[in-house]
Amino acid sequence: MEEKRIGVYVCWCGTNIAKMVDVEGVAEEIGKLPNVVVSKNYKYMCSDPGQELIIQDIKEYNLNRVVVSACSPRIHELTFRKALMHAGLNPYMFEMANIREQVSWVHEDREEATRKAKSLITGAVARVAYHEALDKRTVEINPASLVIGGGISGLTAALEIADSGKKVYLIEKEAQLGGHTANVELTFPHMIPARQVIGPKIKRAENHPNIEVLKQATIDEIFGYIGNFNADIKVNGSARKIEFGNIIVATGLKPFDPSSVDLHGYGKLPNVITSVEFEQMLKSGKIQTSDGNEPKNIAIIHCVGSRNNDYHEYCSRTCCMLGLKYSNQLRSALPDSNIYEIYADMRSFGKGCEELYADTARRGIMFLNFDQRKGIPQITKAHPGDSCEMLIEMKERLSNTQIEVPADMVILLVAMEAREDAKDIAHQVGVSKCGNDFFIERHPKLDPVATTTDGVYIVGSCQGPKDITDSVAQARAAAARVLGTITQGTVEVELTTAVVNEDLCCGCQTCVSVCPYTAISFDEEKSVSVVNEILCKGCGTCGSTCPTGAIRSRHFTDLQILSQIKGIMSTEMTEV
Amino acid sequence: MSTRVDPNFSKKLEAYGKADWNECYHCGNCSAICPLTEDGFLFPRKGIRAIQMGLKDQLAGYVDPWLCYYCGECTDTCPRDANPGEMMMTLRRWLTAVYDWTGLSGLLYRSFRAHMAFMIVLFLGVIASFLVFADFSIPATSEGLVEINAFAPSELIHEIDTILLLALMFFLVTNILNMFIKVIIMDKSVRVPIYLYFVKVWEAIFHFGTQWRFSKCEEKRWYWFLHWFLMSSYTLMFIFIIFFLDWFQTDVVHPWYHPQRLLGYYVTAGILISTVYFVWNRIKAGKTIFKFSHHSDYIFPVLLFLIAFTGILIHIFRISGMAQATYITYMLHLAVEVPMVTTFVAFSKWSHLAYRPMGLFFANLKKAALQKQYKTQLAPAT
Repeated sequence: MEEKRIGVYVCWCGTNIAKMVDVEGVAEEIGKLPNVVVSKNYKYMCSDPGQELIIQDIKEYNLNRVVVSACSPRIHELTFRKALMHAGLNPYMFEMANIREQVSWVHEDREEATRKAKSLITGAVARVAYHEALDKRTVEINPASLVIGGGISGLTAALEIADSGKKVYLIEKEAQLGGHTANVELTFPHMIPARQVIGPKIKRAENHPNIEVLKQATIDEIFGYIGNFNADIKVNGSARKIEFGNIIVATGLKPFDPSSVDLHGYGKLPNVITSVEFEQMLKSGKIQTSDGNEPKNIAIIHCVGSRNNDYHEYCSRTCCMLGLKYSNQLRSALPDSNIYEIYADMRSFGKGCEELYADTARRGIMFLNFDQRKGIPQITKAHPGDSCEMLIEMKERLSNTQIEVPADMVILLVAMEAREDAKDIAHQVGVSKCGNDFFIERHPKLDPVATTTDGVYIVGSCQGPKDITDSVAQARAAAARVLGTITQGTVEVELTTAVVNEDLCCGCQTCVSVCPYTAISFDEEKSVSVVNEILCKGCGTCGSTCPTGAIRSRHFTDLQILSQIKGIMSTEMTEV
Repeated sequence: MSTRVDPNFSKKLEAYGKADWNECYHCGNCSAICPLTEDGFLFPRKGIRAIQMGLKDQLAGYVDPWLCYYCGECTDTCPRDANPGEMMMTLRRWLTAVYDWTGLSGLLYRSFRAHMAFMIVLFLGVIASFLVFADFSIPATSEGLVEINAFAPSELIHEIDTILLLALMFFLVTNILNMFIKVIIMDKSVRVPIYLYFVKVWEAIFHFGTQWRFSKCEEKRWYWFLHWFLMSSYTLMFIFIIFFLDWFQTDVVHPWYHPQRLLGYYVTAGILISTVYFVWNRIKAGKTIFKFSHHSDYIFPVLLFLIAFTGILIHIFRISGMAQATYITYMLHLAVEVPMVTTFVAFSKWSHLAYRPMGLFFANLKKAALQKQYKTQLAPAT
């Protein structure tokens, strides 16, 4: 066995770590550990001189393993792995000890913090001694793509890819393309007709030589991995098989059903309608009550199903602007009507939106504010002989007054929620969902359209409530990502995966049932489990459930983890 | 109980002045910057909200506009140009109309034409009476004295003066009673013990005499002084004419140092200087508080100016022994005075003189009563 020569680098992170951890003392003590050849401390390890220090040391001291104790590996593991590669070492011969998020930022006693940092680094040193060199694997990319959902996001993404000369399968569950955008009359804040936004896209997609539009189509199952997916689908009831290299999920949203909000009386009072129904009314060109009369008093209630712990905690992002748009349209259509915007908070962010709010406020609209924590407006039938049909009772927040608002028509701005079939889609394409059933992106800020499954992207409202502008931006971003992988032709896949020791496998298939990435299949002939190394994310779930210990997760072997624990426990800890 | 909102109220209020209430998004900056607002009497934001929502009954019992002296700080710093200062001014006009049970005040405020028509009728009435009852041919005495009380039937003038005084006082007092009912009686949240009325009345009298609250408006001491100069001048003039006409308007020419003449000069100077200043600034419309002018803001100082101006002319003509000129000027003097007093004392801007100290009085009563009720520590109105 080769000699283990470990270099340890303790980062100050400016004062972030240094103020709470005696970095110099720690580096000195760690230097005394077995196998540690060199132990240094430096102001910013992630800086160019910091990385250069590691590279120089690897060459000078002939190091074959490196530990950096700094921030979270989520932030800089890749940086240091690259530095190792530059120095000619395998990038997996590296371990990071997090002494910032786990130590300096969360502790107040410098002495204790220093001791904890030392213990974490000792664990990392013990672990890195057992690291093994791992290789990457290259796979080819199928240039065709699958876009699921024919709304504004799906159409945009499909056209963007198709225009670059690549094949796209566009799957739509309904008989028509266009999604929810097709049901809208005008779009905010510029009042551009939705027809002008979505119409040309539908026409172009249906006639595009590179797009195969599959309407009334559903997916049975998707197999494969980035570059090499294939799927069983049903188009108009008949089964079909398609192959593609990337997937863009654009399955969209479902409008909230306000029947469950008792106080609003939706379903019981005929003139309480949802924003979706009011859009239909606007499209038909006739704003009228159920009796066919012109409404004199119209109330628009915001946050129905949104920002309310009983329904959805999140903000649906579009309702405020939708309400302002309605006020404007109503004011133009019915100049003498009384219009009430009953809102919880006015959120008119974004280009042109605050301007629309200010303009609307000048058009004689009454804005009434309610506090959701103290209750939502209650709609009741008006007393006989009253001049209006309904009365809205509410506590107005800005005047601290209990008021009643006369209404002949009430428009509920309903929340956007995840579709009921989001769960099925998530399982088919291998993406995770958050608590509200929206799909989770790889990184909320730095990677908003990718998912943890390579080759699968999420765009539009299936990721969270979104307006047309944001959906289109996401769709184009995802298309660029897909085209990027297609242009490269091949993709490298990490191999920190699970492997099955076929001699130990008893064929119980427990691992097959627990794998969240459908990466394990069962070889009937040999009666053993087989891991698809490209689908496997190395999460370790199979390894921990395997009753015979046949599955071993690369880079997370029992030996590595137990040594790390041993290393951490070897330091004297304070009694708690 | 719920209050029904009224989306058309703010439109109706536009006849009483100008403020862009729909611009306001309730950041509260105006109330934060106001040097006069305090716990329990938070203005001007609350007023704007009530206007936007059309809470008429709540506004009718709203005493806060009388506690504001319009320094203009809130309007200057309003991030939405909603003009809260002018809103308070508008509310003062509207409240004057609300307190007036005859409805005349509202008519005068809403319509410039009505106000002018009313004044012209009175103006012509006075002229006609003079032409009928006065004798313009009486020359000056041999000593060069012009006897006004001989030219006009002074008995009749005094009688009419008394009748006018009683009638206007009746309207003003009943309007104040109406204000009292709306501000104190209708407010169910507070019960004022009787003894407090006697304790707090002194503060109101002090503020009436000095307008000391106005001087609290930061860096606006100059406004306070001018306003006080004008206010003290016409209050004195009013007191002389109404209560001491026999002493004030005599045919004897006193030496210049006589208190009657000195006070006369003070009153005339006060009115002339301040009315010219206010009208000039309103025309220039430079400073915030002069940017918007309701027609009553012009009519009132112009009439005051004319009264003082004709007053000083009478004085000059008299001591120069110019009989006819004195008589005609005197006639004009009264022909301006009567419409001014009739339309303004109980029904328009002049009544502020009564409503402000009453407003402060009622506010202090409420505060003291609430203090007693809740034993909470509230800052005293100073």
